[in-house]
Amino acid sequence: MTAIHLENLVKRFGAFTALKTMDLEIRDGEFMALLGPSGCGKSTTMNMIAGMEQPSEGRITFDGRDMNGVAMGRRGVGFVFQNYAIFTHMNVYDNLAYGLKVRGTPASEIDRRVKAMADFLQLTPMLDKPSAKLSVNILQRLAIGRSAIVEPAIFLLDEPLSNVDAAFRAVMRTELKHLQRQFRQTMVYVTHDQLEAMTMADRIAVMDHGVLQQVGTPLEVYNDPVNLFVADFIGSPGMNLLKGVLADSDRGLVADLGALGITAPIDPALSATARKHGIREVVYGFRPERVVLAGAGQGIAMPVTFIERIGARTVVHFGDGEQRVKAVFDNDVAVQTGETVHVAVEPGFARLFDAATGVAIREV
Amino acid sequence: MSMLATEEKISVTGDLSTTGTRIEDGGRRLGLMLTLPAQLLVLFIAVFPLLMQLYISLTDWSPLDGIGWWQAYELWNNFANYTDLAVDSRFWDALGRTALVMLICVPAEFLLGLGLAILFMDNFAGKRVFYSIMLIPMMVVPAVAGYMFFMLFQSGGPVNDIISTLIGRPFALAWLSSPGTALIAVMIADIWQWTPLMFLILLAGLVGVPEDQMRAATLLGASWSQRFRTIVMPKMKTIIIIALSIRVIENFKIFDTLYIMTGGGPGVATETISVYIYKVTQQDLIWGYVAAIALVILIALSILVSLAISRMNAAKEA
Repeated sequence: MTAIHLENLVKRFGAFTALKTMDLEIRDGEFMALLGPSGCGKSTTMNMIAGMEQPSEGRITFDGRDMNGVAMGRRGVGFVFQNYAIFTHMNVYDNLAYGLKVRGTPASEIDRRVKAMADFLQLTPMLDKPSAKLSVNILQRLAIGRSAIVEPAIFLLDEPLSNVDAAFRAVMRTELKHLQRQFRQTMVYVTHDQLEAMTMADRIAVMDHGVLQQVGTPLEVYNDPVNLFVADFIGSPGMNLLKGVLADSDRGLVADLGALGITAPIDPALSATARKHGIREVVYGFRPERVVLAGAGQGIAMPVTFIERIGARTVVHFGDGEQRVKAVFDNDVAVQTGETVHVAVEPGFARLFDAATGVAIREV
Repeated sequence: MSMLATEEKISVTGDLSTTGTRIEDGGRRLGLMLTLPAQLLVLFIAVFPLLMQLYISLTDWSPLDGIGWWQAYELWNNFANYTDLAVDSRFWDALGRTALVMLICVPAEFLLGLGLAILFMDNFAGKRVFYSIMLIPMMVVPAVAGYMFFMLFQSGGPVNDIISTLIGRPFALAWLSSPGTALIAVMIADIWQWTPLMFLILLAGLVGVPEDQMRAATLLGASWSQRFRTIVMPKMKTIIIIALSIRVIENFKIFDTLYIMTGGGPGVATETISVYIYKVTQQDLIWGYVAAIALVILIALSILVSLAISRMNAAKEA
């Protein structure tokens, strides 16, 4: 149980800067997901926490202790690799016992703790089996058990589910979250899959191009993205983002979306911020799940270009070119391809971004 | 369409089990016919010479006798070659010397090669250049290497010059003509020439050790020597056995470089099995005896190699 603090962390590989700057506080016992597309610097960050890479600048502290120069074997970090890195030439028992053996733990205690861990992770029937041919969910449990047996303060998981097929991933997610609750260790979880981050993490750190974009609970990141990248990256499909210009009307400030028409009045608090900073060019954002059909003459009018059935819901694509909108409806939605439909955003669910900087306009 | 119809007819009218047997028989015959040329070739190039060797080894035949080898039965000698061999002290001395060279050279080459391979796992300036330089000894023609070391170890040669400089007084040991040092010089030449092969094979093995497993071990607190013992060595077991087998077999046959350096001398001080066989063949011309020696050596080496292979298979299964 350890709090991790990353301060002004920078990592350069020659001329390439993998991590531009990173400040992050990971609380004691927290499940933090580092989420971002490949090349965003999330694995580099994780490797620096583990001590496999040394930061070019800045420092990492565990409970206030500076970790710079502390060898990776002495940090008390458990690491679950993407492919689990199980010692394939050993059986399950020897894999579990490894960390204790190299520390010179007495044989009787090793045996007791290995058996307890195997019991806890339901690995007891496989203890004598060679580890090379185990199925992937057993490998995951073994990898976690092998790290957990030496009681690390921190658990780092590097995309442990990326080699698993989609159907099985749901099972593994549940299992992993369950294990974390039982171990109560600080966990840092690297992933490019937002579903994994959303379902398991206490907080998510969204990263892109070596820059930390936003840190927050899954719902904070989903509901109130701080910039266009997070708005687009989080959610499936991502947030609808339409370019517009703010204009006064008799009902208050609205966004003029050009050919699409005028939006409903903007939240007074957001209007105040936009006015204060003199922002006119904006991006008007709203979640596909918050689109409702509107009566004729209301909302914005757009042609239906494509109807996508995804099972439980139906995704309707509107418009073409730059101004495109996706909406998620119930399957019985009465729209047809080619027809022009009026849609509106549920009150209170529109978001505004400064078009010049991409930063969200928020209440002050 | 017609194919389909035929198949249907078989499945309707024919008893399935007999159909199966007929197909299997046909397949076996076809298989035999297809592999027969290759089998005959193998028989001709491997088994036939072996049988011929066995046959000659039971006779006193020599090419000077003026009769063809197939008539060698006229010189049948009641296993005299084998009984002679059992008491041939020159043979046993040569065998002992060969074993001594092998027991010193192969471990030395292994340890040097392993050490160098470990160094080459790190990145350092000029690594590629050093890598190429490392492999040069292996590419030198053995005869040339023989002449190189012949000159290096002359009493006025560079080796003695270096030693004189180091110890600060004249040093003029005649390495190759002193019975005590000739074998040492020969072993140094062998180690020089064949350490690169060990290095190359072991480097390939080291590169193949999964890096993430090494990191996992490090994160679990294993020291360098613990990682080496518990991860690297078990992962490299197969490749180490292969490398050692190659060098044991090759070193057992040590001949070319050695023959040019010392010719097996002074006296018989550097006479290994290969040199002894060469001398018996070319100088004494008693070929029946040579065949017997070669056969004994072949059997001994085969036992060694099959032991190594069974160890390797055991390692693979573990």
